[in-house]
Amino acid sequence: MLRPRGAFFERTIEPLELHVSEALIEKLKNEIAAVEHPRELAVDVMMALQDHHGYLSDAARDQAAELLGMSALEVDELATFYTFIFREPVGRYVIHVCDSLICWMAGEENIVDHLRQQLQIDFGQTTADGLFTLLPVCCIGYCDRAPAILVNRRVHGPLTNSRLDELLQKYRAEAAEKPGSNV
Amino acid sequence: MPTLTIDNRPVTVPDGTKVITAAEQLGIMIPRFCYHPALGSVGACRVCAVGFKEGPIKGVEMSCMVDAQEGMVVATDDPDAVDLRKHVIELLMLHHPHDCPVCDEGGHCLLQDMTISGGHGRRRYAGAKRTHLDQDLGPLVQHEMNRCIQCYRCSRFYQQFCGYRDLGVTGIGTRVYFGRSEPGTLESPFSGNLTDICPTGVYTDKPSRFYGRRWDYERAPSVCIHCSLGCSLTVSARYRKAVRHEARFNAQVNGHFICDRGRYAYAYASQPERPRDALIAGRPATLAQAATQMSERLAAIEKGTGPDGIALMGSARSSLETQALLARLHSEKGWRTPCFSADDAATRVVSSALNTLNATNTIALTEIEGADTVLLVGADPIGEAPMLALALRQAQRDGSRIITVDPRPVTLPCAHDHIAVSGDDLATAVAHLIIGALEPSREIALDADQQDRFKTLKQETRDIPAAAELRAIGHALTTAWRPAFVCGTTVPDPDVPPLMGLLQALVQTSCMWSGLFFPLPGANTFGAHCLGGSDALFEPLLAAVEAGQVKALVVVENDLFSEYPDQQRLAAALESLELLVVMDCVPSAITARADIFLPTQTIYEAGGHYLNNEGRLQVATPVIAGGLSIMDTGGGNHPPREFREDIPGGTPRPAWQYVAGLATGETDPPDVKPLLDEALTAGVADGERVSLPSASREWPSIERIGAGPEGDAGGLTLIESAATFGSEPLAAFSTVLAELTPLFGVTVHSETAQRLGWRAGDRIVIPDSAPALEVVVTLDDRAAPGVLLVPRRIGIDRTALRRYMAHLLAE
Repeated sequence: MLRPRGAFFERTIEPLELHVSEALIEKLKNEIAAVEHPRELAVDVMMALQDHHGYLSDAARDQAAELLGMSALEVDELATFYTFIFREPVGRYVIHVCDSLICWMAGEENIVDHLRQQLQIDFGQTTADGLFTLLPVCCIGYCDRAPAILVNRRVHGPLTNSRLDELLQKYRAEAAEKPGSNV
Repeated sequence: MPTLTIDNRPVTVPDGTKVITAAEQLGIMIPRFCYHPALGSVGACRVCAVGFKEGPIKGVEMSCMVDAQEGMVVATDDPDAVDLRKHVIELLMLHHPHDCPVCDEGGHCLLQDMTISGGHGRRRYAGAKRTHLDQDLGPLVQHEMNRCIQCYRCSRFYQQFCGYRDLGVTGIGTRVYFGRSEPGTLESPFSGNLTDICPTGVYTDKPSRFYGRRWDYERAPSVCIHCSLGCSLTVSARYRKAVRHEARFNAQVNGHFICDRGRYAYAYASQPERPRDALIAGRPATLAQAATQMSERLAAIEKGTGPDGIALMGSARSSLETQALLARLHSEKGWRTPCFSADDAATRVVSSALNTLNATNTIALTEIEGADTVLLVGADPIGEAPMLALALRQAQRDGSRIITVDPRPVTLPCAHDHIAVSGDDLATAVAHLIIGALEPSREIALDADQQDRFKTLKQETRDIPAAAELRAIGHALTTAWRPAFVCGTTVPDPDVPPLMGLLQALVQTSCMWSGLFFPLPGANTFGAHCLGGSDALFEPLLAAVEAGQVKALVVVENDLFSEYPDQQRLAAALESLELLVVMDCVPSAITARADIFLPTQTIYEAGGHYLNNEGRLQVATPVIAGGLSIMDTGGGNHPPREFREDIPGGTPRPAWQYVAGLATGETDPPDVKPLLDEALTAGVADGERVSLPSASREWPSIERIGAGPEGDAGGLTLIESAATFGSEPLAAFSTVLAELTPLFGVTVHSETAQRLGWRAGDRIVIPDSAPALEVVVTLDDRAAPGVLLVPRRIGIDRTALRRYMAHLLAE
């Protein structure tokens, strides 16, 4: 599911408070009211709140539970199942490296090694400057562009080390130009 | 009914039976982790693989997923299946810690058994294991996630089977984690079952943690006496301490599970405060001294006043043996008829309820699971009989409609329709149900006499706010195939159970199956009723004490103060007695007042027979010889090196023995069956239901239905009713359950709160209460307006509470 990038990248995250707009809540409530089982929209609601905050904080999870008439645990059961829902704060740019068969054949391991080296982080970690989070992902369906990665759910590939460097440089420059990190 | 062959032996099973169940019938236990008879098949663990040799399916398949079919030939020892199982177990063991020596499950661990029997005796994997952080799940269940083998039994049980939503599964892959969102006490009153169903040590019993191995325990089959359902238990005891109740399978009563109240109620039997010595005027004496003095003083009083001067008080928590001997004492000595409860209001309802039951209309707890409509009137399962709520949940999962008609905001772990009706209107509500069932119905034919009576009923039944809704439900009952009728016996008035009986009898004519189920106030209330106890009320007894007609009172295993609401009046009356004899196994307000006190044995030491709420005769086997636990006498070290012939603290005798001493002097346990035979029409056998004399199917008196509530129609009523924790006299001694007992509170409808000027969360300090009592106000609009609902709580000042509430009601 590819979505347009949300405005959250330009916003400071305040995990303990909810500044979700009334309009968004109203929109979600209407969407929920329109389906037979509120649970159907659990993922959409979590995504909407995540786009707003950058990650699904405990407070956001509780809000999702309230909207959906589910218990906090039931929301957590779903949230923790999905790769694209983050229950912990992530960097401004979330890099998902495809580790499935075709990308692996096309040199996924080199890509991972290079990213680790360049960013000085391992899978599941965020760079000290709060810019990048590195995560593995299983097949994203871009085998034609293997080895491929997603940066904030936008696909890049086929990649080489130099292309990766350009990409990282581009995001670093963008961040410098439009400050407002989410660490 | 397919016939198949398993390991060269033929077996015929009903259609739809899984192969794993069919094998069980031959005594072949195919390995399993995720499969549980109550939870069904999911085919997740892959360890029940067997070889299918002939028939419609060939090759290795999961025996929990395949229906038994005609002509199947199954080999559980098929080399491919054995090899697969071996590897599956090795896979499951990859991340399992090697902590069996310090794991409480060790010794009765399914994973341990399967690992050994599956042929994976040695680990080959030397890598790092995935680890998890554990959660504090409250005082009952210990969590140790590293041991998990992802069978999903716990989340399936907790969410699907029980209907609670705070424990489940999070994560994916090796991060799969069973627990809560945040650490915290589990919300389900059935959470203790997790320790039974977990095939390994992820959930273990917290109160008995590190106390012993399965083989260290003295274990015996027993019966739960902490509500009237009489669930089957296995009791574990060690060092003369009962420390664990486990659910024992009983197809008629509790199935595979029990509730947390029953599971953790045993602490009373080994509490340090338990009275273990005979007392005369508060001073320790030998049993012989106390017993002799008891007989002598009773004989002296009898001489002065005649046999009427001595009264007997039993209880619903005593065994049938004790109850029967009290009845015999009455018949032999001519002393007053024993009274078994100080709550006359409840005794009257029980009496009318049990007179409504007969051999054909009584149903068992598990039969409720098969009902397609369940109507509950004046019954709050979670508080009064928790396992009933679980049975309702199973019925509802199967598509059954559950309807509660109650003044209380009844909550159930399943969807149900709730109709709030004030306590005084319950009989009228059932009358409306009857009218609804008969009015436009073509299903139920009435003869001329019944037509007349129905006409009168219709004319005299008052209108109540929910009348139309109730009539619609009444009509819906006539289209049900398998309706069950549940009626409480503490909140409704005595008219309600017979009306429910009538409704059931009428509906019976239009459905395939139906029946009545009446949860009762105590574990052996049914026994007390059978032995003639329901006729003897407490109020006249108390009046006779106050009038000086009764000079001596023998109280057996009953803390009158927790049952009788006016504690001051009771105290004054007891004060006026010449002799108060108390026999009990727990300390209580009345124990302290006894002139002669005789310590009794608990169910763990004495065993005994009990009749549950449907009249099923069940046996509890003695588990341990009584005495102080060496865990206590040793204070953590070696027990005292003191030579004596008896067991320290082993003085208590079964209550029936003391009573027998007064009557006939016999020392062998009485055979309760002939005694029951006298009281009942049919013979009785262990595990079977006794048959009460067939009740008449007369239309009950309907005079009171038309009368309406006494006093002001807009008045307030106080309802004290059983809560899951804190209400049952023995379980109330359990410290782990005390942690789960909520703050004492009053629940009211928001309209009523407004009238009283209360807001949610208000704390009302009850004036002149000792110990000081504070009541927290909770608002719940599912309660009937005008009802002040408080839980029954052992040890609170009910006199002050009722005085305060009466003052509110008067205003």
